[in-house]
Parts: sequence; structure tokens; C-alpha cells
Amino acid sequence: MNRSPLNWPVIRLLVAKDWQLFQQQLAACVFGGIVALCLIGMATGWSFYLGSLLLIVMLVCTSCFSISNSLLVERKEHTLAFVMSLPVTPLDYYLSKLIGNLVTFLVPFLAMLAGTVLVILYTPLPDGLVVLSLLIFGHVLLAYAVSLSVAMAVESEGWNIFAMIASMLLINPLIMLLGQIPAINDHVKADTIYFAPVAVAILLAQATLSVVVLAATGWVHCRKKSFY
Amino acid sequence: MHDTVRFHYMDNLRALAMLAGVVFHAALAYSPLLHPYFPTADRAQSPAIDLVIWWLHLFRMPLFFVVAGFFAAMLLNKRGMAGLFLNRLRRIGLPLVIFCPLVIAAMSYSTLHAAAYVRNPSPVLLMIRQFSQMANPPAPPPGTGHLWFLYYLLFFYVLTWVARSLVPGKPGNFMRGLKPGWQLLLFPMLLAPALASVSAPHPAPESLFPQFWAFGFYGPFFVFGYLLSGHEALIDRFRGFAPWLLLASVALYGAFLYLLRRHVPTAASVPIALIEACISVWMTCVCLVAGRLLLNRSNRLLRYLSDASYWVYIVHLPILFVIQYRLMDMAWGWGAKFTVSVVATFAVCLLSYHLLVRKTVVGRLLGTRMPVAGSAAGA
Repeated sequence: MNRSPLNWPVIRLLVAKDWQLFQQQLAACVFGGIVALCLIGMATGWSFYLGSLLLIVMLVCTSCFSISNSLLVERKEHTLAFVMSLPVTPLDYYLSKLIGNLVTFLVPFLAMLAGTVLVILYTPLPDGLVVLSLLIFGHVLLAYAVSLSVAMAVESEGWNIFAMIASMLLINPLIMLLGQIPAINDHVKADTIYFAPVAVAILLAQATLSVVVLAATGWVHCRKKSFY
Repeated sequence: MHDTVRFHYMDNLRALAMLAGVVFHAALAYSPLLHPYFPTADRAQSPAIDLVIWWLHLFRMPLFFVVAGFFAAMLLNKRGMAGLFLNRLRRIGLPLVIFCPLVIAAMSYSTLHAAAYVRNPSPVLLMIRQFSQMANPPAPPPGTGHLWFLYYLLFFYVLTWVARSLVPGKPGNFMRGLKPGWQLLLFPMLLAPALASVSAPHPAPESLFPQFWAFGFYGPFFVFGYLLSGHEALIDRFRGFAPWLLLASVALYGAFLYLLRRHVPTAASVPIALIEACISVWMTCVCLVAGRLLLNRSNRLLRYLSDASYWVYIVHLPILFVIQYRLMDMAWGWGAKFTVSVVATFAVCLLSYHLLVRKTVVGRLLGTRMPVAGSAAGA
């Protein structure tokens, strides 16, 4: 059987549709992100912690809103039935969701990551915090990839909410776990950046797992002949 | 129709605001008030400089942000949100990314050189000289230098999209519908909290981290300009008030200078902030009225200066620094040094514009030769 080529015009339209529906929430998150940056820029202890916390909250909100708007609400409001009437294959549909979600998530994610690294490097904060921050951001990326894959593969709303909340909340045990690893914890308050082998291994694992989870979901969709 | 109309007075006001920046920065070297803080601060000083430049400082950039907001709304109506972002990224974002590191590197190099060789250094140069003798001298925090306004413009374009996505209805109609007298009274009240949170005269928000006060002060001016677009007749409503606004601003400026001498400059007091806000708003309105009356025309010279102003503003400060560092050891009066530094800086900037920018890819990057006013807007 010949493999049908991807229907890029419709994929683009589906991405644009998701963008239109997500725009309002993203605007609120961007506004929150700017407020967080201003708080960090005030260069006082309380404003730094409040700003950092607000940045992480905005990051989690962006990821949850993005997945919820583009996938969960679509099923709930039966717009998926309309999408299925379009000339799209399950792989087209998967790609539109993947591209749309990755763009809406990765843009604020990378902006916040860059902002965090800049804050650490150019303020009196110890530069050793860079490694811990990268590991935390790595976890957010992995949690997002897992939540997105679950949302694309599992129809149950309950499981999807569980995946989103559980994966994001695991950030707390992760921070505690990292605090127990001397090779990481001993360098957090140092003025030099030290990538311990275990830190590099965790970072690589987070990045690899994120890609593998998304690729596996794509492989499943690639083999599908119908949406269900 | 807006598509074909060229708003000469807005073009010219934007150019004036930019070019006045060169004079303002040149004058800072001879200001007694800024002597402890400015790298090129000279032995020759005059209180007359303070009398003039802080007056200009209160409405030069506010006027610029009004013009930027005006052209942003015009561009948005013409090309939509995606078109606005693409255009602004090309005209504002790209020049910021390219020129900011270059001008900061040039200024750092000339300042380090001056700290080592100038015989009559300013307090800032003395401090740098002491730092450079340390084993591990502290690195200066990263910033945007005098190009901070480009950085904030990018935020304002993003916030334009945020506001259009989140704010229902048309609150602009309510604001436009207020009587001019109320607008002129309420607008300064809106700005006073932001100005009260920083020292007086307000500093430039050069940090890479956005500052609340800068959004609170310059943001409303951007919104004001945005609301004026398509409703230019609103400017005419201020015409009758203009002479009185000018007189009131001059009187308030006297009070501002008096209070400034009595006040410890960590953060402005509420009265000082209110005075600053009133002068900023009222003088910006006076400039808009005067611009619409006197500058709504174009000739080859005005057009050329308008086209050149963006480039001149971007490159002027490193050139000015080099010239003023050379002048520091000369036994001239402040007037001669100020005149030489302004004339020489303009000459080098305009010559470089003519030879290196106007007909080259850099000119296209900056949009300095575009035929429609909106294309160079906000820059």
C-alpha cells in the first residue's frame, strides 16, 4: 500500500485553530511571565523568590492550558468529530497537535530558561544554581512530554488530569532527591558551575525520555488507520 | 485613507525626539547634578545645563513612546497582529540584537581606555581605574544601554497583543470620550505612582530585567499614542489648552528644581513625582499640538533627518564618549566643549549614515528609506 503524503495545508489550519483557541490563556500567561520578570528585576530577596515561583507557575499553566485546550476540550465538545470529517489521517492529526503544542510550550519555556540562567549568572546568586535550575527545567520538559503523549493516546479525561498533575507535582520529590545527591548539592552554593557526571546523566535521561515518549506516541499514530 | 496618508508631523516629532537625545546625552557631561554618575563627566560644568536638560528629559521619551504607539496602531490596522510582530521584529528586534552588543562593547572599550589614560578623570572613571587594578574586578551587569527603548518597545508590542486578547469591549472609546480637561488631569495621576518609586529625575531603565516603573510610566504614553491613531482630531482638542499647559509646566518645573535640591534622591517624593508626571503629560501634549501645527510638512532636509535619526541615535553614544573623553583634559569652558561634542557627534553620525547606511543593507534593516511613515514607526 502506498503511504499517503502528509496533508500540510490542513495540518497548518489545525495548528492555527488551536492557536486561536489558546490565545487568550497564553496572553494571560505571557502577562504573568512579564510580571514575574519585573519582580525578579526588583533585586530584593522576597521579589526574587516570588518572581521565580510565578515563572514556574506560568510555565506549568502554559503547558496544562495548551494540552487541555487543544486535546481535552476538543474531545469534550465533540469538535474531534468535525476534525475527523476533514481529509486528515491520524498521523496528520498527531503532527498538528505535536507542532502546535510544542510551539506554544517551547517558546515561553525557552524564554524562561534563558531568563533564569541570566538571573543566576548576572546577580549575586551563586552560579552553581545553574545546574539545579537546568535539572528542574528538564523535569518540566519531561512532565510536559508525558502529559502531551498521554493526552494524545488516552481518551479518559480523568487519566489525563492525573498525568498532568502527577507529573508536574513530581517536581517537589525531584528537588528533594537532588538535594540528597552530594555531587549536585555540594556545588549549588559554589561560585562556579560544575556539571557532575550524575547531573549530566539525569539531564540526558530527561531529554532522551522526552523525545522517546513523543516519538513512541507518534509511532503509535503512524500505525493507526482510523482515529479509534 | 490611512494607507496612503503620511503623518509628517509624527515622523518629524519622532526624529526630533531622537536627535534631541544626542544633545541631551552630550549635555550630561557638563551637568553638576549627574557629575558623580556619568562616565564622561567633565571638570567644566554649569548649572544652566541642569536647568535645560532635565526639562527636556521629562517629555522627550514620553513623546517618543506616544509616536511609537501611534504607528503601532496604524501598522496593526494595516497588517494585522502577525504583520505587526514580523515588522517590529525586523525593524526593532533585529537592530537591538545586532547593535546593542556592538555599541556597549565600543563604549566599554573607550571607557576602559579613558580610565587608564585621562589625566582629569570623572568620579566614574576613577572608580573604574580602581576596579581595574583589582585582581578580579567585578563585571558590570548586562544591560541595554541607551537602546533600552527598543527593548521596551518589544514588550509594548507583546502587551498590545495581550491587551487585545484579554480586554473585552473597547475601553479606548471610553478614554477618548473623556473631556480634554479630565484627560489632562487624570493622566498625570496615573503616572505618579511609577515616578514616585524611582529617583528624581527618573533614570533610564537599562537593566535586562524589565522594571515595573518603566511600564507604569512609558506604557500609558504608548497607549495614548495608540488611541490617537485614527483619531488625530483629538490632538486639536488640546490646542486651546496648549499655551496654558506650557506656562503651567514652566512654573511647575521651577517648583521641581526647588524640591529636587531639598530632597535626598533615593526615591522621588509624591509631590516631586506628581510634578514630573504633570510636566511629562502636558509638555507631550504641547509638542503634539505644536508638531501638528508647525511640522506637518516635509521637505528634503526634514525627510533626510527623519530617515537618519534612527541610525544617529543608535550609534551616537559611543562616538560621543570618544569625543568627550578626548575633551576632558583640555582647558576649555563647558560651552565650547559641549558645542564641539554635539557638532562633531552629529557630523560623524550623519556622515556614517550617508556613506554606510542610506543606500546599503543596513539602511534596509533599519527601514530608514521606506516610503511610508508607518514603516519606520516606533524606531
